[in-house]
Amino acid sequence: MIFDQVRGIASDLFSVPADHITAGSSPHNIESWDSIQHLNLVLALEETFSVQLSPAEIEQMKSIGETAKLIETKLQANLR
Amino acid sequence: MAIVIQPYRQEHESAVGEFNDRLQRWSGDPNLVFSETAVPRWLPPRTNSAVWNEYFVAVEGSTVRGAYALKHEQVFVRGKGILRVACYHHPLSEGIIDPSYASIGGLLIRDALARQPLLYALGMGGYERPLAKMLKVLGFSLTLIPFYFRIVHPARFLRHMQALRQARWRAILMDIAAATGTGWLAIRARQAAWALHGRSHSFDAQEISEFPGWADDLWNEGTEYVSMAALRDANTLRVLYPPDLHKTRCMLVSRGDAPMGWAVVGQRRGDPKFGELRVGSIVDCWARPQEAVSVAKAAAEALEQESVDLIVSNQSHQVWCRALEKLGFLKGPSNFIFAASKKLTQLLQPLEQNRASFHITRADGDGLPSNF
Repeated sequence: MIFDQVRGIASDLFSVPADHITAGSSPHNIESWDSIQHLNLVLALEETFSVQLSPAEIEQMKSIGETAKLIETKLQANLR
Repeated sequence: MAIVIQPYRQEHESAVGEFNDRLQRWSGDPNLVFSETAVPRWLPPRTNSAVWNEYFVAVEGSTVRGAYALKHEQVFVRGKGILRVACYHHPLSEGIIDPSYASIGGLLIRDALARQPLLYALGMGGYERPLAKMLKVLGFSLTLIPFYFRIVHPARFLRHMQALRQARWRAILMDIAAATGTGWLAIRARQAAWALHGRSHSFDAQEISEFPGWADDLWNEGTEYVSMAALRDANTLRVLYPPDLHKTRCMLVSRGDAPMGWAVVGQRRGDPKFGELRVGSIVDCWARPQEAVSVAKAAAEALEQESVDLIVSNQSHQVWCRALEKLGFLKGPSNFIFAASKKLTQLLQPLEQNRASFHITRADGDGLPSNF
Protein backbone atom coordinates (compact mmCIF):
# COMPACT_ATOMS: atom_id res chain seq x y z
CA MET A 1 0.00 0.00 0.00
CA ILE A 2 2.65 2.53 1.07
CA PHE A 3 4.89 1.20 -1.67
CA ASP A 4 2.16 1.91 -4.26
CA GLN A 5 1.74 5.46 -2.97
CA VAL A 6 5.50 6.09 -3.03
CA ARG A 7 5.66 4.59 -6.50
CA GLY A 8 2.83 6.91 -7.64
CA ILE A 9 4.64 9.97 -6.30
CA ALA A 10 7.89 8.87 -7.94
CA SER A 11 6.08 8.19 -11.21
CA ASP A 12 4.70 11.74 -11.28
CA LEU A 13 7.96 13.36 -10.28
CA PHE A 14 10.28 11.37 -12.50
CA SER A 15 7.85 11.17 -15.46
CA VAL A 16 8.22 7.40 -15.56
CA PRO A 17 5.18 5.05 -15.89
CA ALA A 18 4.33 3.54 -12.50
CA ASP A 19 4.61 -0.01 -13.82
CA HIS A 20 8.22 0.70 -14.79
CA ILE A 21 9.08 1.57 -11.19
CA THR A 22 10.14 -1.31 -8.95
CA ALA A 23 11.57 -1.60 -5.46
CA GLY A 24 15.01 -1.56 -7.04
CA SER A 25 14.44 1.70 -8.96
CA SER A 26 17.08 4.23 -7.96
CA PRO A 27 19.01 7.25 -9.26
CA HIS A 28 21.20 4.72 -11.07
CA ASN A 29 18.41 3.45 -13.31
CA ILE A 30 15.98 6.41 -13.42
CA GLU A 31 17.71 9.10 -15.42
CA SER A 32 15.49 11.95 -14.21
CA TRP A 33 16.17 11.12 -10.52
CA ASP A 34 18.71 13.87 -9.94
CA SER A 35 19.40 16.01 -6.90
CA ILE A 36 16.52 18.38 -7.68
CA GLN A 37 14.01 15.56 -8.08
CA HIS A 38 15.37 13.90 -4.95
CA LEU A 39 14.54 17.07 -3.06
CA ASN A 40 11.11 17.16 -4.70
CA LEU A 41 10.59 13.54 -3.64
CA VAL A 42 11.51 14.37 -0.03
CA LEU A 43 9.09 17.30 0.07
CA ALA A 44 6.30 15.32 -1.61
CA LEU A 45 6.69 12.44 0.86
CA GLU A 46 6.72 14.83 3.83
CA GLU A 47 3.53 16.49 2.63
CA THR A 48 1.69 13.32 1.59
CA PHE A 49 2.46 11.35 4.73
CA SER A 50 2.69 14.29 7.17
CA VAL A 51 6.16 13.27 8.33
CA GLN A 52 9.44 15.12 8.78
CA LEU A 53 12.47 13.39 7.33
CA SER A 54 15.80 13.89 9.06
CA PRO A 55 19.06 14.23 7.12
CA ALA A 56 19.96 10.63 8.04
CA GLU A 57 16.60 9.39 6.78
CA ILE A 58 16.84 11.37 3.54
CA GLU A 59 20.19 9.79 2.95
CA GLN A 60 18.63 6.31 3.36
CA MET A 61 16.39 6.93 0.33
CA LYS A 62 18.65 5.09 -2.08
CA SER A 63 15.84 3.28 -3.93
CA ILE A 64 12.05 3.27 -4.12
CA GLY A 65 11.94 0.10 -2.01
CA GLU A 66 14.10 1.62 0.73
CA THR A 67 12.11 4.84 0.57
CA ALA A 68 8.79 3.01 0.98
CA LYS A 69 10.24 1.00 3.88
CA LEU A 70 11.43 4.19 5.56
CA ILE A 71 7.98 5.78 5.27
CA GLU A 72 6.31 2.64 6.63
CA THR A 73 8.65 2.66 9.63
CA LYS A 74 8.01 6.36 10.24
CA LEU A 75 4.23 5.92 10.09
CA GLN A 76 4.31 2.90 12.41
CA ALA A 77 6.46 4.85 14.88
CA ASN A 78 3.94 7.70 14.76
CA LEU A 79 1.12 5.27 15.62
CA ARG A 80 2.86 4.01 18.74
CA MET B 1 27.56 4.81 6.26
CA ALA B 2 25.64 7.92 7.29
CA ILE B 3 26.41 11.35 5.88
CA VAL B 4 27.14 13.94 8.56
CA ILE B 5 27.32 17.65 7.80
CA GLN B 6 29.73 19.45 10.09
CA PRO B 7 31.97 22.52 10.23
CA TYR B 8 35.01 22.16 7.98
CA ARG B 9 38.13 21.58 10.09
CA GLN B 10 41.79 21.22 9.22
CA GLU B 11 41.53 17.44 9.51
CA HIS B 12 39.12 17.46 6.50
CA GLU B 13 41.47 19.32 4.16
CA SER B 14 43.04 16.29 2.48
CA ALA B 15 39.60 14.67 2.02
CA VAL B 16 38.35 17.90 0.42
CA GLY B 17 41.35 17.73 -1.93
CA GLU B 18 40.34 14.19 -2.93
CA PHE B 19 36.72 15.33 -3.36
CA ASN B 20 37.93 18.12 -5.67
CA ASP B 21 40.04 15.62 -7.64
CA ARG B 22 37.01 13.39 -8.22
CA LEU B 23 34.92 16.35 -9.41
CA GLN B 24 37.73 17.56 -11.67
CA ARG B 25 38.29 14.13 -13.24
CA TRP B 26 34.61 13.98 -14.12
CA SER B 27 33.91 17.56 -15.15
CA GLY B 28 37.19 19.27 -16.00
CA ASP B 29 35.46 22.46 -14.80
CA PRO B 30 37.98 24.47 -12.78
CA ASN B 31 35.10 26.18 -10.95
CA LEU B 32 33.96 22.91 -9.40
CA VAL B 33 36.39 23.00 -6.50
CA PHE B 34 35.92 23.74 -2.84
CA SER B 35 38.44 25.52 -0.65
CA GLU B 36 41.25 23.20 0.37
CA THR B 37 41.89 25.25 3.47
CA ALA B 38 39.47 25.04 6.37
CA VAL B 39 40.03 28.69 7.28
CA PRO B 40 38.50 30.89 4.55
CA ARG B 41 41.02 33.07 2.73
CA TRP B 42 38.24 35.55 1.89
CA LEU B 43 36.50 37.01 4.94
CA PRO B 44 37.77 34.62 7.63
CA PRO B 45 36.03 34.80 11.00
CA ARG B 46 37.46 37.70 13.02
CA THR B 47 36.52 39.22 16.33
CA ASN B 48 34.07 42.12 15.90
CA SER B 49 33.70 41.52 12.16
CA ALA B 50 30.12 41.80 10.94
CA VAL B 51 30.82 39.77 7.82
CA TRP B 52 32.66 36.47 7.61
CA ASN B 53 32.65 33.09 5.92
CA GLU B 54 32.08 29.69 7.45
CA TYR B 55 32.57 26.39 5.64
CA PHE B 56 30.79 23.06 6.09
CA VAL B 57 31.50 19.60 4.75
CA ALA B 58 29.27 16.54 4.25
CA VAL B 59 31.31 13.62 5.48
CA GLU B 60 30.77 9.89 4.99
CA GLY B 61 33.23 8.14 7.29
CA SER B 62 36.47 9.89 6.40
CA THR B 63 35.37 10.80 2.85
CA VAL B 64 34.00 14.22 1.95
CA ARG B 65 30.92 13.95 -0.28
CA GLY B 66 29.80 17.58 -0.33
CA ALA B 67 30.52 21.05 0.95
CA TYR B 68 29.07 24.54 1.14
CA ALA B 69 29.85 27.99 2.49
CA LEU B 70 27.86 30.54 4.45
CA LYS B 71 28.77 34.19 4.30
CA HIS B 72 27.38 35.63 7.52
CA GLU B 73 26.48 39.27 7.24
CA GLN B 74 24.03 41.95 8.26
CA VAL B 75 21.37 43.51 6.09
CA PHE B 76 19.14 46.51 6.48
CA VAL B 77 15.48 45.77 5.82
CA ARG B 78 13.05 48.68 5.77
CA GLY B 79 10.80 48.55 8.80
CA LYS B 80 12.82 45.74 10.39
CA GLY B 81 16.21 47.37 10.96
CA ILE B 82 19.52 45.50 10.78
CA LEU B 83 19.20 41.69 10.65
CA ARG B 84 21.73 38.90 10.64
CA VAL B 85 21.45 36.78 7.49
CA ALA B 86 23.68 34.42 5.55
CA CYS B 87 24.51 33.92 1.91
CA TYR B 88 24.57 30.29 0.78
CA HIS B 89 27.38 29.82 -1.70
CA HIS B 90 29.73 27.32 -3.31
CA PRO B 91 27.56 24.23 -2.71
CA LEU B 92 29.15 21.15 -4.23
CA SER B 93 27.89 17.59 -4.12
CA GLU B 94 29.22 14.17 -5.04
CA GLY B 95 25.77 13.71 -6.62
CA ILE B 96 27.17 15.56 -9.66
CA ILE B 97 29.26 12.52 -10.49
CA ASP B 98 27.57 9.65 -8.65
CA PRO B 99 23.76 9.31 -8.59
CA SER B 100 24.05 7.38 -5.29
CA TYR B 101 24.61 10.77 -3.69
CA ALA B 102 21.65 12.56 -5.29
CA SER B 103 20.38 13.38 -1.80
CA ILE B 104 23.36 15.53 -0.85
CA GLY B 105 22.37 18.68 -2.74
CA GLY B 106 19.12 18.89 -0.79
CA LEU B 107 20.79 17.93 2.48
CA LEU B 108 23.26 20.79 2.14
CA ILE B 109 20.58 23.42 1.62
CA ARG B 110 18.39 22.09 4.42
CA ASP B 111 21.38 22.06 6.73
CA ALA B 112 22.14 25.69 5.84
CA LEU B 113 18.50 26.65 6.47
CA ALA B 114 18.60 24.95 9.86
CA ARG B 115 21.68 26.99 10.77
CA GLN B 116 20.34 30.30 9.39
CA PRO B 117 16.69 30.48 8.28
CA LEU B 118 17.28 34.00 6.93
CA LEU B 119 19.22 32.66 3.98
CA TYR B 120 19.82 33.94 0.47
CA ALA B 121 21.78 32.95 -2.59
CA LEU B 122 22.97 35.17 -5.41
CA GLY B 123 24.07 34.63 -8.99
CA MET B 124 23.56 30.98 -9.90
CA GLY B 125 23.74 31.55 -13.66
CA GLY B 126 20.02 31.51 -14.47
CA TYR B 127 16.70 29.94 -13.56
CA GLU B 128 17.56 26.68 -15.31
CA ARG B 129 20.66 25.97 -13.24
CA PRO B 130 20.34 23.21 -10.60
CA LEU B 131 20.82 25.45 -7.56
CA ALA B 132 18.16 27.92 -8.68
CA LYS B 133 15.76 25.03 -9.30
CA MET B 134 16.43 23.50 -5.89
CA LEU B 135 15.89 26.81 -4.13
CA LYS B 136 12.62 27.26 -6.02
CA VAL B 137 11.55 23.79 -4.86
CA LEU B 138 12.26 24.86 -1.28
CA GLY B 139 10.04 27.92 -1.62
CA PHE B 140 12.72 30.58 -2.09
CA SER B 141 11.55 33.72 -3.92
CA LEU B 142 13.66 34.42 -7.01
CA THR B 143 14.38 37.90 -8.35
CA LEU B 144 16.38 38.60 -11.49
CA ILE B 145 18.90 41.41 -11.00
CA PRO B 146 19.13 43.62 -14.12
CA PHE B 147 22.37 43.58 -16.14
CA TYR B 148 23.69 46.68 -17.89
CA PHE B 149 26.59 47.16 -20.28
CA ARG B 150 28.26 49.95 -22.19
CA ILE B 151 30.57 49.32 -25.10
CA VAL B 152 33.66 51.51 -24.94
CA HIS B 153 35.53 50.13 -27.94
CA PRO B 154 32.94 48.93 -30.48
CA ALA B 155 35.39 47.39 -32.96
CA ARG B 156 37.07 45.23 -30.30
CA PHE B 157 33.65 44.34 -28.87
CA LEU B 158 32.43 43.15 -32.26
CA ARG B 159 35.57 41.09 -32.90
CA HIS B 160 35.93 39.47 -29.47
CA MET B 161 32.52 39.16 -27.80
CA GLN B 162 32.48 35.37 -27.88
CA ALA B 163 29.03 35.03 -26.33
CA LEU B 164 27.54 36.74 -29.41
CA ARG B 165 29.83 35.08 -31.95
CA GLN B 166 28.71 31.48 -31.43
CA ALA B 167 26.78 31.40 -34.72
CA ARG B 168 29.14 31.61 -37.72
CA TRP B 169 26.85 33.91 -39.70
CA ARG B 170 26.67 36.34 -36.82
CA ALA B 171 30.45 36.29 -36.33
CA ILE B 172 30.89 37.16 -40.03
CA LEU B 173 28.40 40.04 -39.76
CA MET B 174 30.16 41.31 -36.64
CA ASP B 175 33.53 41.18 -38.42
CA ILE B 176 32.09 43.16 -41.35
CA ALA B 177 30.55 45.72 -38.98
CA ALA B 178 33.89 46.08 -37.19
CA ALA B 179 35.91 46.43 -40.40
CA THR B 180 33.60 48.95 -42.08
CA GLY B 181 32.89 51.08 -39.06
CA THR B 182 29.13 50.58 -39.36
CA GLY B 183 29.15 48.70 -36.07
CA TRP B 184 30.95 51.58 -34.38
CA LEU B 185 28.35 54.03 -35.71
CA ALA B 186 25.37 51.87 -34.76
CA ILE B 187 26.61 51.19 -31.23
CA ARG B 188 27.62 54.78 -30.58
CA ALA B 189 24.28 56.05 -31.92
CA ARG B 190 22.30 53.65 -29.75
CA GLN B 191 24.26 54.51 -26.62
CA ALA B 192 24.20 58.23 -27.37
CA ALA B 193 20.42 58.18 -27.82
CA TRP B 194 20.07 56.74 -24.34
CA ALA B 195 22.65 59.11 -22.89
CA LEU B 196 20.93 62.32 -24.03
CA HIS B 197 19.59 62.94 -20.56
CA GLY B 198 22.64 61.68 -18.72
CA ARG B 199 24.17 65.01 -17.84
CA SER B 200 25.31 65.05 -14.27
CA HIS B 201 26.25 67.89 -12.00
CA SER B 202 29.94 68.64 -11.53
CA PHE B 203 31.81 66.33 -9.22
CA ASP B 204 35.28 65.38 -8.08
CA ALA B 205 36.36 61.76 -8.04
CA GLN B 206 39.36 60.46 -6.16
CA GLU B 207 40.70 57.00 -5.44
CA ILE B 208 40.65 56.11 -1.76
CA SER B 209 42.41 53.39 0.16
CA GLU B 210 39.84 53.09 2.93
CA PHE B 211 36.42 54.24 4.00
CA PRO B 212 36.49 56.76 6.88
CA GLY B 213 33.58 58.20 8.86
CA TRP B 214 31.77 59.89 5.95
CA ALA B 215 30.85 56.41 4.71
CA ASP B 216 28.70 56.01 7.83
CA ASP B 217 26.89 59.26 7.08
CA LEU B 218 26.23 58.21 3.49
CA TRP B 219 25.05 54.79 4.65
CA ASN B 220 22.62 56.29 7.16
CA GLU B 221 21.22 58.75 4.62
CA GLY B 222 20.99 56.16 1.86
CA THR B 223 19.02 53.58 3.82
CA GLU B 224 16.05 55.92 3.62
CA TYR B 225 15.76 55.04 -0.06
CA VAL B 226 16.26 51.27 -0.02
CA SER B 227 13.97 48.45 1.05
CA MET B 228 16.90 46.07 1.57
CA ALA B 229 20.67 46.36 1.38
CA ALA B 230 23.61 44.49 2.86
CA LEU B 231 25.33 46.65 5.46
CA ARG B 232 27.67 49.17 3.82
CA ASP B 233 28.80 51.22 6.77
CA ALA B 234 32.44 52.25 7.16
CA ASN B 235 33.40 49.23 9.29
CA THR B 236 31.93 46.73 6.85
CA LEU B 237 33.41 48.49 3.82
CA ARG B 238 36.85 48.35 5.42
CA VAL B 239 36.44 44.57 5.78
CA LEU B 240 35.12 44.09 2.23
CA TYR B 241 37.64 46.41 0.57
CA PRO B 242 40.87 46.29 2.57
CA PRO B 243 43.72 48.53 1.32
CA ASP B 244 45.70 45.51 0.11
CA LEU B 245 42.89 44.31 -2.18
CA HIS B 246 44.37 45.40 -5.51
CA LYS B 247 41.76 43.79 -7.71
CA THR B 248 39.28 46.61 -7.20
CA ARG B 249 39.55 50.39 -6.84
CA CYS B 250 37.46 52.38 -4.39
CA MET B 251 36.44 55.90 -5.27
CA LEU B 252 35.00 58.78 -3.35
CA VAL B 253 32.80 61.08 -5.39
CA SER B 254 32.32 64.51 -3.88
CA ARG B 255 31.30 68.05 -4.66
CA GLY B 256 33.54 70.54 -2.97
CA ASP B 257 34.20 69.12 0.48
CA ALA B 258 30.93 67.21 0.62
CA PRO B 259 31.03 63.45 -0.07
CA MET B 260 28.20 62.53 -2.45
CA GLY B 261 28.76 58.82 -2.77
CA TRP B 262 31.27 56.11 -3.45
CA ALA B 263 31.87 53.44 -6.03
CA VAL B 264 34.05 50.38 -6.37
CA VAL B 265 35.27 49.44 -9.83
CA GLY B 266 37.43 46.63 -11.14
CA GLN B 267 38.39 44.63 -14.19
CA ARG B 268 36.73 41.23 -14.32
CA ARG B 269 38.98 38.24 -14.54
CA GLY B 270 39.10 36.26 -17.78
CA ASP B 271 35.86 34.69 -18.90
CA PRO B 272 35.47 32.66 -22.12
CA LYS B 273 32.23 34.42 -23.01
CA PHE B 274 34.07 37.75 -23.20
CA GLY B 275 36.97 36.36 -25.24
CA GLU B 276 39.91 38.76 -25.21
CA LEU B 277 37.81 41.74 -24.18
CA ARG B 278 38.96 43.82 -21.23
CA VAL B 279 35.81 43.97 -19.14
CA GLY B 280 35.44 46.62 -16.47
CA SER B 281 32.74 46.41 -13.84
CA ILE B 282 30.98 48.89 -11.62
CA VAL B 283 31.13 46.46 -8.76
CA ASP B 284 29.49 48.40 -5.98
CA CYS B 285 28.15 51.88 -5.30
CA TRP B 286 26.21 53.92 -2.80
CA ALA B 287 24.84 57.47 -2.87
CA ARG B 288 21.77 59.54 -2.32
CA PRO B 289 19.37 58.98 -5.26
CA GLN B 290 19.93 62.47 -6.70
CA GLU B 291 23.68 61.78 -6.90
CA ALA B 292 23.52 58.33 -8.47
CA VAL B 293 24.14 59.59 -12.03
CA SER B 294 27.26 61.49 -10.96
CA VAL B 295 28.65 58.54 -9.01
CA ALA B 296 27.94 56.07 -11.82
CA LYS B 297 29.53 58.48 -14.30
CA ALA B 298 32.65 58.82 -12.15
CA ALA B 299 32.88 55.02 -11.95
CA ALA B 300 32.46 54.58 -15.70
CA GLU B 301 35.07 57.26 -16.44
CA ALA B 302 37.55 55.60 -14.10
CA LEU B 303 37.12 52.33 -15.99
CA GLU B 304 37.44 54.05 -19.37
CA GLN B 305 40.77 55.44 -18.21
CA GLU B 306 41.87 51.83 -17.68
CA SER B 307 41.17 51.25 -21.40
CA VAL B 308 38.49 48.64 -20.87
CA ASP B 309 36.50 47.59 -23.94
CA LEU B 310 33.25 46.98 -22.14
CA ILE B 311 31.75 48.15 -18.85
CA VAL B 312 29.21 45.94 -17.11
CA SER B 313 27.16 46.26 -13.96
CA ASN B 314 24.41 44.39 -12.16
CA GLN B 315 22.11 46.72 -10.26
CA SER B 316 18.76 45.97 -8.67
CA HIS B 317 17.77 49.40 -7.36
CA GLN B 318 15.65 51.39 -9.77
CA VAL B 319 17.63 54.57 -9.06
CA TRP B 320 20.91 52.94 -10.17
CA CYS B 321 19.24 51.26 -13.14
CA ARG B 322 17.94 54.63 -14.31
CA ALA B 323 21.32 56.27 -13.67
CA LEU B 324 23.09 53.72 -15.88
CA GLU B 325 20.47 54.10 -18.61
CA LYS B 326 20.92 57.87 -18.53
CA LEU B 327 24.65 57.32 -19.07
CA GLY B 328 24.08 55.27 -22.21
CA PHE B 329 24.27 51.81 -20.68
CA LEU B 330 22.12 49.23 -22.42
CA LYS B 331 20.13 46.56 -20.61
CA GLY B 332 21.20 43.02 -21.49
CA PRO B 333 19.92 39.56 -20.63
CA SER B 334 20.64 38.76 -17.00
CA ASN B 335 21.33 35.42 -15.37
CA PHE B 336 22.06 36.96 -11.98
CA ILE B 337 19.43 35.85 -9.49
CA PHE B 338 18.69 36.85 -5.93
CA ALA B 339 17.00 33.98 -4.08
CA ALA B 340 15.56 34.61 -0.61
CA SER B 341 14.43 31.86 1.75
CA LYS B 342 10.80 31.72 2.87
CA LYS B 343 11.62 33.34 6.22
CA LEU B 344 13.65 36.11 4.60
CA THR B 345 10.98 36.63 1.95
CA GLN B 346 8.39 37.14 4.69
CA LEU B 347 10.46 40.05 5.98
CA LEU B 348 10.75 41.58 2.51
CA GLN B 349 7.00 41.90 1.94
CA PRO B 350 5.36 43.36 -0.05
CA LEU B 351 7.93 41.77 -2.34
CA GLU B 352 6.54 43.01 -5.66
CA GLN B 353 6.67 46.57 -4.41
CA ASN B 354 9.96 46.31 -2.51
CA ARG B 355 12.16 44.45 -4.99
CA ALA B 356 12.67 47.57 -7.15
CA SER B 357 14.41 49.22 -4.22
CA PHE B 358 16.60 46.31 -3.13
CA HIS B 359 20.21 47.43 -3.38
CA ILE B 360 22.05 44.41 -4.75
CA THR B 361 25.26 44.56 -6.77
CA ARG B 362 28.08 42.25 -7.84
CA ALA B 363 29.75 42.96 -4.51
CA ASP B 364 27.01 41.06 -2.69
CA GLY B 365 27.04 37.32 -2.14
CA ASP B 366 30.37 35.82 -3.12
CA GLY B 367 30.77 38.15 -6.10
CA LEU B 368 34.05 39.75 -5.06
CA PRO B 369 36.28 36.67 -5.09
CA SER B 370 34.29 34.97 -7.85
CA ASN B 371 34.60 37.74 -10.41
CA PHE B 372 37.66 39.86 -9.59
